[in-house]
Amino acid sequence: MTYEITIDPTGDTIEVEAGQTLLDAALRAGIYLPHACGHGLCGSCKVTVLEGEVLHGDASPFALMDIEREEGKCLACCATPLSDLTIEADVEEEPDAHNHPVRDFVGVVSKIDTLTPRIKSIFLAIEHDGIDFQAGHYINLLIPGMEDTPRAFSIASPPSERNLIELNVALVDGGKGTTWLHNELKIGDEIRFSGPYGRFFVRESAPEPMIFLAGGSGLSSPKSMILELFEHGETRSITFIYGARNQAELYYRELFEELAAEHPNFTYLPVLSSEPADSGWEGLRGFVHEAAREHFGGKFAGHKAYMCGPPPMIDACITTLIQGRLFERDMYMENFYTQASKDAAPKSPLFKSI
Amino acid sequence: MAKKLNMRKRYELLTRGLGWEPTYQSKEKVFSNESYEGIKITDWSKWEDPFRLTIDAYWKYQAEKDKKLYAVMDSFAQNNAHLNLADATYVNALKLFIQGVTPLEYQAHRGFARLARQFSGEGAQIACQMQSLDELRHTQTQIHTISHYNKHFNGMHDPFHMHDRVWYLSVPKSYFDDAKSAGPFEFITSVSFAFEYLLTNLLFVPFMSGAAFNGDMATVTFGFSAQSDESRHMTLGLELIKFLLEQHEDNIPIVQGWIDKHFWRAYRVLALVSAMQDYMLPESPMSWKEAWEIYFVENAGALFNDLARYGLRMPKYHEQATAEAEHLSHQVWGTLYNYAHAASMHFWLPDEKKMDWLSEKYPNTFDKYYRPRYEMWAQMAKEGKRFQNGGLPQLCQVCQVPMLFTEVSKDDPMQISYRSSEFNGEKFHTCSDGCKDIFDHEPEKYVHAWLPVHQIFQGNCGGAAIPDILNWYHFKPEDGGDYAGSADETRWKAMHGETTGAASSDTESAEEKAAA
Ligand SMILES: Cc1cc2nc3c(=O)[nH]c(=O)nc-3n(C[C@H](O)[C@H](O)[C@H](O)COP(=O)(O)OP(=O)(O)OC[C@H]3O[C@@H](n4cnc5c(N)ncnc54)[C@H](O)[C@@H]3O)c2cc1C
Ligand code: FES
Ligand SMILES: [Fe+2]
Ligand SMILES: [Fe+2]
Ligand SMILES: [Zn+2]
Repeated sequence: MTYEITIDPTGDTIEVEAGQTLLDAALRAGIYLPHACGHGLCGSCKVTVLEGEVLHGDASPFALMDIEREEGKCLACCATPLSDLTIEADVEEEPDAHNHPVRDFVGVVSKIDTLTPRIKSIFLAIEHDGIDFQAGHYINLLIPGMEDTPRAFSIASPPSERNLIELNVALVDGGKGTTWLHNELKIGDEIRFSGPYGRFFVRESAPEPMIFLAGGSGLSSPKSMILELFEHGETRSITFIYGARNQAELYYRELFEELAAEHPNFTYLPVLSSEPADSGWEGLRGFVHEAAREHFGGKFAGHKAYMCGPPPMIDACITTLIQGRLFERDMYMENFYTQASKDAAPKSPLFKSI
Repeated sequence: MAKKLNMRKRYELLTRGLGWEPTYQSKEKVFSNESYEGIKITDWSKWEDPFRLTIDAYWKYQAEKDKKLYAVMDSFAQNNAHLNLADATYVNALKLFIQGVTPLEYQAHRGFARLARQFSGEGAQIACQMQSLDELRHTQTQIHTISHYNKHFNGMHDPFHMHDRVWYLSVPKSYFDDAKSAGPFEFITSVSFAFEYLLTNLLFVPFMSGAAFNGDMATVTFGFSAQSDESRHMTLGLELIKFLLEQHEDNIPIVQGWIDKHFWRAYRVLALVSAMQDYMLPESPMSWKEAWEIYFVENAGALFNDLARYGLRMPKYHEQATAEAEHLSHQVWGTLYNYAHAASMHFWLPDEKKMDWLSEKYPNTFDKYYRPRYEMWAQMAKEGKRFQNGGLPQLCQVCQVPMLFTEVSKDDPMQISYRSSEFNGEKFHTCSDGCKDIFDHEPEKYVHAWLPVHQIFQGNCGGAAIPDILNWYHFKPEDGGDYAGSADETRWKAMHGETTGAASSDTESAEEKAAA
C-alpha cells in the first residue's frame, strides 16, 4: 500500500509505503528533514500532521509528549502512515522552486549524437503539451528490463523546449542501464520515463553572481540552466567551469564559446585533467576545483555556486568553496549517484544538504 | 488568506528583536565578554537556531517530562524497587554519578546562564538560556532519582560538599572550573562541542545501560528524559562550531586550540567512567574500548572529515586516546582499588567471571598486564594483607588524575608517563603530552590549580591523618573500603533475608540511616 505525503511549506509531494517511516521516505525522495538519533529518542525530527493519520511507532514519551501527540505532532523517524498525509516540517520554503507535478511520459527517440567516446546525447520527442520542468530537473528513465530501478538523467535542454528534451548519457563501466542506452537504443524507439524530479535549480531571486562547476555528463543541468538564463536576458555575472579528461571528452565547447562571445557577463572555462602535454591545448589544465580556485584567487564569498556531476568532483569542489569562504547556504548541487555510491563514506551531521 | 510562514520565520519573529540596541551604554560594555578571546563575530544574524523552541512551549514540555519522571520515581520508591536490583554493587555506579556528574550538571547550568547573558546574538542567548534551565533540571532530577538510594546505601549523602573537596572528584570539577573560568566562546566549545557533542554518549550509554540491566527504572527514565534535552545540546555544539568557523577565518586556529585542549581534558575525566563501565556494572553491555570505537572513532571520524573542509583537524592526541583504550579502565580501577579506604564508594577485585569477560574484551592487554595484578592482590587479601597504598599519589597539574597513565603510545605500557614544565622557577608535573601542552599554553592559569594532595600536605584539609581528611570530606567511616564486609553489603543481604546479624529489615535500616 502506498500513500502520498504533501510536505508544507514547500508543497513537495512524496510517496511512502505503509510501514515505511516518513523520514525514510523523505530522505529517499531527496528531501531533507531535520533529524539526529533516527530512532525516536531525541525529538529532532518532529513534524506536525495537518491532515491524515499516522502510527507513532517507537517514539519515546519524552521525545514526543502527550500534549504534542494531541496537537498532531509526530516523530518522522518512527511515524508510519495510515492514510495520505499533509505534514508541516521545519524545512525552508524555496521561493525560486517551481513545483511541477510528476507525470509519466512516453518519449520517442528522435536523434542520438555521439558527443564524446563516453557520452551520447539522446533527444526524446514528447507529444501533446510536452513536459513542464525547471532547469536542473531530472527524469527517471524506465529502461526495458530494468523498470524496477529507474535510472536518473538530468535534462540538458532548456524548459522552453517542452516537446523535445535532451539527455546526456555517460557510459558507466559495468553499468547495465547506460550500456543499454549506448548500444541498444535506436532512433524511433519509444521509451518511458517519469518526471520532473529534483531540487537543483537556479536561485533566480538571489542577486549574487553565479558559479557553475561541472564535470563529465554533469554538463547537462548547467547547460539547461545557463541557456534559460540567457533566454531571459540574464545580466548577473556567470562563470562556468567545466572539467573533462581530454579534448576528445570535451563537448559543447563551441556552444559555450559562442555564448561567451555574445555575453560579456558570461565566462566559460573548460579545464582538462589528463590532456597530453604536447597536444597544443592552450586552455586550463587540472581539475575543476583547482581551476576554480585559481580563477577566483581562492575567494568565493559573495557568490552562489551550482555543482553538477560525479560525487568525487563535487566533494572536492565543496572543500575548495568552503576554504574560499563560501558556505552551505550558498551552494547547490546535483550528485550523479550510481549504485556504486552506496558504499560511500558515512555522512556526518554537520551539513544538511551537502 | 495570508501565506503561512515557515517554522524558521515564525520562530525568528518570536525571538528576534529581543536584543535591542542599547542607548546609554555601548554594546561592547553591555556584552563585555564577547571579544576578549579574539573570536570575531561579524554577523550574528547568520546564526541558525539549532532548534526552534519558544519559552512557553519549553515550559510545557519540561513540565510534562517531569510529571512522567516523578511518577516513575514515586512508584519506584513505593515499591521499594531497589530490592529488585541485580546486585547492590551496581549502586556504586550511582554514587560515582551523584558525586561526579550531578555537580557538573549544576556547573553547566551556571555556565550557560552566563552565556545567555553575555552573547549578544538573540538566537544564541535563547539557546543558552534553555540549556541553562535544562542543566538545572538535570541536577534536580538526578538528586531526586538517586535520593531513594540514599535512604538505603552509603556515600550519597553530601555530593556537592564532596565535589568541592575530594581527590577523585577534583578531576571532573577542575574540568568544569577550567571551562567556566574561560571566556564564553571557549566555555561553549568545551562543554557543548568537546564534551556534549563528541563524548556525551560515552558517559551516558554505560550508565543508562547499566541501569536498564539492573532494572533501575528510575534512572533509566531519568536518562530518557535527559536525552531528549541532550540532543538539543549536541545540535547547539555543532551549530556553534560551524558558526564560529564561518564567521571569520581568524577564528579557525583559536577554535582548533580549544578543541585540542577540551577534548583531552574531557577524555581524562572519562577515565573514571571507563573504570565504572568495565568494572562496576555487574553485566556490562559493552567494554570501554568498544564504546570508544563506536562513539568516538567512528562518529567523530565522519564529523572531522567534514570539518576538515573548514581547515579543522581531529583533536590533537586522539590517536593516543584510542591506543590507551586497551589499558585505561584497568589502570584506573587498579588505582581506585589501592585507595578504596579514602573513597566514598566501594571498590573490589574482579571475580573470575568478570576477568574472563575482560580477557575476551581486551585480548591484547588484560591477561598480559592486568590479570596477574588482580590475582596477586586477591592472594594478598586472602592472606590478610589487603594491598592498599598508604601514601598520597602525585597528581597531574592539569587533569588532576593521579599519575597512573603509562607510555602506551611509546610502546612501553608498564612505564608511568611523567611530564614536567618549569614556570617562574618552579616545576609542575603533568601526566601526558596532552596535559603538558595545556599547561604550557596557559601556565598562569594552571599554577592556581587546587590540587587535593598538595592541599592535604599544606594542612588545608582538616588534618594530617586520613580519618581527619575523610571527616573533612564528610565521608563516614563505613562509606569506603572494600564492598565485601561493607555496611552496604550487610544491609543488602538483610534486605534479602540473608541474616548477617546486622539490620534485620529494610525499613529499619532506612530509619537507622535517617537517624544517623
Ligand atoms: C539526480 C541524478 C541525475 C543524473 N543525471 C545524469 C545525467 O544527466 N547524465 C548521466 O550520464 N548520468 C546522470 N546520472 C547518473 C546516472 O543515473 C547513472 O550513471 C546511471 O543510473 C547508471 O546506471 P547503470 O545501470 O549504467 O549503472 P548501475 O547499474 O547503476 O551501476 C553503476 C556502477 O555501480 C556498480 N554497481 C551496480 N550495483 C552495485 C551495487 N549494488 N553495489 C555496488 N556497486 C554496484 C556497477 O558495476 C557500475 O560500475 C544522474 C544521477 C542522479 C542521481
Ligand atoms: S531523529 Fe531523533 S527522534 Fe527522530
Ligand atoms: Fe545535562
Ligand atoms: Fe547537557
Ligand atoms: Zn593530566
